[in-house]
Amino acid sequence: MKNVVYEMFRKYGRLLSLHGYVVGHGGNLSLRSGNTMYITRHGARLEDLRLEDIIAIPIEGESSFDSIASSEVLLHRAVYLNGAQHLAIVHTHSPYAVAISFFLDELEPLDAEASYVLRKVPVVEGEAGSVKMAERVAEALKDSHAVIVRGHGVFAAAKMLDAAYRYACLVERSSQLKYLVEALRGLGLRFKEAKEL
Amino acid sequence: MSIKGWRGRLLVVDLSQRLFKTVELSSRLLKAYIGGRGLGVKIVYDHTPRRVDAYHPDVPLIFAVGPLTATPFYSTARFCVISKSPLTGTLFDSSCGGELGLELKKAGFDALMVKGSSKSLVSLVIDDEDFLIKDAEGLRGYTTKATREALRKDYGEEFKVACIGPAGENMVRMASINSDEGHVAGRGGLGAVMGAKGLKALVVRGSKPLEVADEKGIRELNRLVLKRIKSNPITGKALPGLGTLFLLQVVNEHGMLPSRNFKNTSFDEAYKISAELFKAKLFKRRKGCFNCPIACKRVVNLKGEEHPQPEFETTWALGALCEVASPEALVELNSLCNDLGIDTISMGSTLACAMELSEEGLLDTRVTWGDVEAMKELIADTAHRRGLGRTLAEGSKKMAERLSRPELSMSVKGLELPAYDPRGAYGQALAYATSNRGGCHLRAYMISTELLGVPILLDRLNPIGKAELVAYYENFLAAIDSLIVCKFLSLELDDNIFASALRMATGGLFTRAELIKAGERIWNLERLFNLEEGFTSSHDTLPERILSSPGAPPLQAMLEKYYEVRGWNRAGKPIEAKLEELGLPGERITM
Repeated sequence: MKNVVYEMFRKYGRLLSLHGYVVGHGGNLSLRSGNTMYITRHGARLEDLRLEDIIAIPIEGESSFDSIASSEVLLHRAVYLNGAQHLAIVHTHSPYAVAISFFLDELEPLDAEASYVLRKVPVVEGEAGSVKMAERVAEALKDSHAVIVRGHGVFAAAKMLDAAYRYACLVERSSQLKYLVEALRGLGLRFKEAKEL
Repeated sequence: MSIKGWRGRLLVVDLSQRLFKTVELSSRLLKAYIGGRGLGVKIVYDHTPRRVDAYHPDVPLIFAVGPLTATPFYSTARFCVISKSPLTGTLFDSSCGGELGLELKKAGFDALMVKGSSKSLVSLVIDDEDFLIKDAEGLRGYTTKATREALRKDYGEEFKVACIGPAGENMVRMASINSDEGHVAGRGGLGAVMGAKGLKALVVRGSKPLEVADEKGIRELNRLVLKRIKSNPITGKALPGLGTLFLLQVVNEHGMLPSRNFKNTSFDEAYKISAELFKAKLFKRRKGCFNCPIACKRVVNLKGEEHPQPEFETTWALGALCEVASPEALVELNSLCNDLGIDTISMGSTLACAMELSEEGLLDTRVTWGDVEAMKELIADTAHRRGLGRTLAEGSKKMAERLSRPELSMSVKGLELPAYDPRGAYGQALAYATSNRGGCHLRAYMISTELLGVPILLDRLNPIGKAELVAYYENFLAAIDSLIVCKFLSLELDDNIFASALRMATGGLFTRAELIKAGERIWNLERLFNLEEGFTSSHDTLPERILSSPGAPPLQAMLEKYYEVRGWNRAGKPIEAKLEELGLPGERITM
């Protein structure tokens, strides 16, 4: 099982890095399988994961392996236990989403695909690794596919890793579009709202 | 002398002459060597005759504290014992938790030097400026627990004790010095040096206030320290939540938990002695050192009695290495070693060596893997030097050499290796080989970066850059051992924080560079002592079993680089320019 998870994480980790949504040691991925969570390792590079960078820990309770799991392990656990039955989480430090989070409490996507799929993306506050952030993100992901933590990044959750990946990409694309629209508006162009999306 | 942070005083006790003397320590000396390990190393270097047995009366035994001891800074309730090791023959320091160090500092001393030897067993009592050598024949044969209880009854709870058990009295080469319950200066057999001097116990109380340069600054620094410690996955979660035993499953999962005397690199039954299992079955409560925010110790309940939970290294050495998979048995074996005053790592490794020798038909007594009852008997026999215990008491290296199978001792420079298999982490492998005190993971704890990812995760099987890192950590942790602060803080805090704490305690202008330089000075002085004792670069090695296995670390290449980084020649000797840079060997401390 770990080998299979490794192949999946390796693929999506590479893709997220290529997009620039994770850099250095940032971001993390997890999957739930029964009572086990597979999560990337603290300090691992998503662009270049090794087999030993995949850590298996119990969904509930304390484990020795928490010590080397991602520093966001608390948050991942809280999301899996929030009742929404998510089975995959993608966390990125996407630049446009982070930038936009300083100006909005909620991102309403302007484009067709994201507005249809994501509907709205809440922005929450929280110190990295804290219990409060874990609780707020877990709460937000009960009804939303993705949430932005102000100044930090995106957490997207779904039943499949590919879907969570898609949501994370859509959040970043929407954030980028929002930025471009505001930039164009700032240049004096008149905004024309799409009436039929 | 009016200096802050330090006391500027050394108490010298001559047990042969029954004399006491206080010696002024210059601020120049203290700034160069900081205190604790560094100060002890300098004293031993200056005042130990070369090429004599560790039991020689002229070999001093030092108890030292640092400039941060008894200040408000976190996690400084520790002391250091320094001497020549009867197990390795090297200069040896061993760190111990508990409150004795606080009392020694409050009594007005940076260090205590014990020399000579008493014909009868004695205790040394220090009560501020009152010193007494008291007859302790009535404590002969007492366990460390019974000794502590007896002395507390005589002197009261305010007095703190460091003592030896029967193992120390019988000069077992891996005898420990025990302080408060569960706190041990375990490695290197310094308990045997104490026993050779006829010193059963040190009993200390102090009451003098300590002046620090900036107490408010230290308390503010503590706020930052606390925040960072709590945010770190090891110091903030793993250690408080599960104790050091969290390492067992993690290390095993990486194929780095040796079993069967390092024949295997993992233990199939590790899950039976995991931190989680101990917590579920035996856990009673947490316990912490004085003024420590981590509180990594645990107390367990076994058959209605409280015992310290065995630490990771103990659980490995008496557990996985010897193929014991019972938490209850491990609690009993740990308490037995503690009571008799024996280092659990060396004892476990020596037993594992004996098990393999027995398997090969080389011992008269049959010792089988996982035989807990036999292990208990042999540990007691070791402490009392009887039967096979007479041989075990010499340590695995001498035992294996005697039976013409030296390669079966998993030791470096005579000190048995700890729990992390060097085939799984090349930086740690280099650290073992270059350690001045022998097979030790605490000289440069490379596991923090190669396995735990703090402060950063490195490729454990890549040798590039490891020489530089090992040298840096050796210097850094020598400084830590001299301040004296618990090493767990260094899993999160960098040298800048410790330099700040030192500045605030002493008022001195310490930069982080100067702190590391002091550590480098201490390291090189230890090296010089060992070279003068006949150690050479040939001793910077690993057991043959490690070097000849498929996963062997590229030690020779790493060593060459390491000597270069250290400013040593190809024979592993510091060059003149390096000695001059560090001011070594430096002015001799006059007594």
